[in-house]
Amino acid sequence: MMPPVLEFKDVSVSVKVGEAEVALLRKVSFEVGKGRILGLAGESGAGKSMIGRVISGLLPDNLRFSGGEVRFQGQTLTGRLARSFLGRRIAFIPQEPLSALNPVYTIRQQMYEHMKHQGLPRAQWESYCIERLLEVGLPDPADLLGRYPHQLSGGQCQRVLIAMAFSGDPELIVADEPTTALDVVTQAQIVRLLRGVQRKHGTAVILITHDLRLAAHVCDEVAVLYAGDVVERGPARSVLDAPSHPYSWSLKMATPSLEGEQYVLPTLAELMPGLKDMVSLVGCRFARRCPTRNAECESRLPRLEPVAEGHYVSCGGQCRTAAGSRKTEPHVLPAPKNALGRPLLELRDVSMTYHGQGRRRGQVFHALRPMSLSIAPGELVGVVGESGSGKSTLARLIVGLLEPTGGSVHVEGVARRGASGIQAAQMRETVQMVFQDPDSALNPRRTVEALVTQALEIRRDIPLAERGRIAQRLMGQVGMALDALGRFPSQLSGGQKQRVNIARALCVTPRLLVADEIVSGLDVSVQALIMNLLLELNRELGIAVVFISHDLSVIRYLCQRVLVMRHGEVVEQGETESVFGNPQHPYTRLLIGSVPPDDADAVWPAPDGSEEGIVSSEQVLECQS
Amino acid sequence: MTTTTMKYAGARSGLARLCSHPKVVIGGVMVLIFLLVALLAPWLAPNDPNAQDLLATLLPPAWSEGGLAQYPLGTDALGRCVLSRLIFGSRIALLVAVVAATGTMLLGTVLAILAGYLRGWFDRSISFIVMLWMAFPPVVFSMMLMVGLGTGVSNVILAVILVDWTRFYRVVRAEVLVARQREYVHAARLLGFSHLRIMLREVLPGVAPIVITLFSLEMGVAIVVEAILSFVGLSVPSNVVAWGVMLADGRDQIYQAGWNLMAPVVGIVFAVLAFNLLSDGLRVVLDPRLRKRGSE
Repeated sequence: MMPPVLEFKDVSVSVKVGEAEVALLRKVSFEVGKGRILGLAGESGAGKSMIGRVISGLLPDNLRFSGGEVRFQGQTLTGRLARSFLGRRIAFIPQEPLSALNPVYTIRQQMYEHMKHQGLPRAQWESYCIERLLEVGLPDPADLLGRYPHQLSGGQCQRVLIAMAFSGDPELIVADEPTTALDVVTQAQIVRLLRGVQRKHGTAVILITHDLRLAAHVCDEVAVLYAGDVVERGPARSVLDAPSHPYSWSLKMATPSLEGEQYVLPTLAELMPGLKDMVSLVGCRFARRCPTRNAECESRLPRLEPVAEGHYVSCGGQCRTAAGSRKTEPHVLPAPKNALGRPLLELRDVSMTYHGQGRRRGQVFHALRPMSLSIAPGELVGVVGESGSGKSTLARLIVGLLEPTGGSVHVEGVARRGASGIQAAQMRETVQMVFQDPDSALNPRRTVEALVTQALEIRRDIPLAERGRIAQRLMGQVGMALDALGRFPSQLSGGQKQRVNIARALCVTPRLLVADEIVSGLDVSVQALIMNLLLELNRELGIAVVFISHDLSVIRYLCQRVLVMRHGEVVEQGETESVFGNPQHPYTRLLIGSVPPDDADAVWPAPDGSEEGIVSSEQVLECQS
Repeated sequence: MTTTTMKYAGARSGLARLCSHPKVVIGGVMVLIFLLVALLAPWLAPNDPNAQDLLATLLPPAWSEGGLAQYPLGTDALGRCVLSRLIFGSRIALLVAVVAATGTMLLGTVLAILAGYLRGWFDRSISFIVMLWMAFPPVVFSMMLMVGLGTGVSNVILAVILVDWTRFYRVVRAEVLVARQREYVHAARLLGFSHLRIMLREVLPGVAPIVITLFSLEMGVAIVVEAILSFVGLSVPSNVVAWGVMLADGRDQIYQAGWNLMAPVVGIVFAVLAFNLLSDGLRVVLDPRLRKRGSE
């Protein structure tokens, strides 16, 4: 039998924290055979990227390779050897396609540099580049070679990078979250492409991803990582169908599904352990958050044990057999209540048009074409679309950060334009926004207390002592501990920041929250927490939510009604279940087809051309660039 | 990858963080020495800096042949104690450094925040003026100003402010342009904050590190400008002790008494280096973008 292309045998990587030595990877073992795809799934902090670093021989200086062996094509892979293989026998596909390409060089210059590294004769460079770019489905490669990265879309950049990775006919490719920065439709295309080229060349691929469902559909085998441990490993389908480790189970269940019955997303207490916590974690690192731990879990290191053919689980508890079939309570969205009353917010033929200036004088750009929308109190409305579809423009129009160029916005029956000072202040309190990026949305120089009560600074009628009480109430509403009040945003985790972000908007007791992509940068388990929080706020305070996202499954979990947007236009709208269950517009169908399904046996992504019928991939590419 | 949890450890006090950078410590100590010398000049100086001892002109330093212990660094052509003049000269240097740097900071930063935040015609006109302003050679410009204003310490300070505020404007405006796009600025607008309040409470704290850094850099620049103006005789009256005046006086005897020139040069280099070190260190320590979030 041929040896696997890459084999990890009990690999440990450790770092010194003070006196103690902490293993960032603990006896990680896996192997990838020729022509196989291995998925490494896990959230941030799980050690996925560390494995990439080990393979590339580029460990940071403060880390130490502290045990085990990496074998590449049967020979022991040292750091020096690995570095000499880079680009030739081992290639990488990076996460951020736009930042991985140097903006000051053309694609040709960057690909030529790569050819030079391969040692190809100069005369063949041009024809070889064109051949490779055609292979990754880029039309008109000769023209593309002369362009700069910023002139390409994210999907095109990723295709160029895939072409470069495969150009040396490497034996192993490590793709680190290659689709995370891309839209769903592009993601499906890139995944299909990656698998197509990989099959053609028989390359072994390691796909690092946070999306268990994506991994299960693309990969042959999946390893689930948690805090440096492989907690579960096995054939992709069996890991998705029957996740046996409680962590894999919660990872799977934390992503809402797009079809069938919905279940309440399970949430885990606390956070993934960081370096400091790992010092004291000798046993199972998941134990503290595990709902089914037993007395021994924290002290005894579990070993990978087989549960089925080729399927191993590292869990000392009794939970492992039960986990796969366990379900949470069914999740049913409340029916919209007083939908007949006066709408909370009304957009009447609102549009947003920009006119080009300078050289672009005369050009007109429609960020949002005329549309109407009315939102009842307590309603949950979703807006879905890819980047550039006008979602964020809509959000800014609703909250009043932008003035529409056409039509009018009415809050509780009063037109925003021409409202008196008192009315405008009331409107601001009625409609609040939660911003997308918690790092940018929270002023790093304010404490949490000052942040959440920021709105009170301009209110003279509320004494200072009251502010502390209000801050405490807000922290309770978003489920945060009171000791966080004195902290600065940089001392909070991503999920905590997003809660502070929400708490700030709640301070003025709004009746409508506009949430613009507020879960897209978060890990799935944190995403589940934030979504459940929004539902709770809706249930208890009756706050209406406009939830903007590119993720259809998130919209389905949260929203009663959905608007599908494309190119600044609403192409389809209606009740979420009927739109997603029976999509009418081809674009909606395309979006839904791009989401990896729950059913591990379903073929995804669908072979090129079958589901796209009307909207070809070229057209989609075109509309992105 | 593991940064999220590492961040909890980052709750150190401000002073401890400042002192974590060697440049801040070294620069800070040098600035402190400079400050003490300037403040305690009457007690530190062995002689009256303006007293002439015409029997002992151009004496070499005390340690070389012919030197007197009474004049540790020798005397100049008029028989004045070089060390005392060096010590007293630091007072003018300090005064100019602090006041001129504060002035440039206020003028430059206020205009930069207004222009960067409000944009529109205000930004366009101020930026155009700055462009025009910076096209003038700074030394010639300040000399022209001195000719117009007349000599005197306060006029030197005014000249430095008028010449150098553009430096603050340029750098701070660029930072404001970034800060105003931050979502927390939008959030403040949605909460009903006035523009003035947003500028003071949201934008200003964000640009404060760069302003502090520029401020300490500007102190060094002001000292050099004052020395240059004194050197060409356009700064302070001759009865005021300043390093630039010492340079100008020492120039004639450069071959006979090089130490007369060396003393003010050492003083200027020490002071400017001190402020530059401090500013470079502060830039690293205060800039959140350069702050490492713990190890990998």
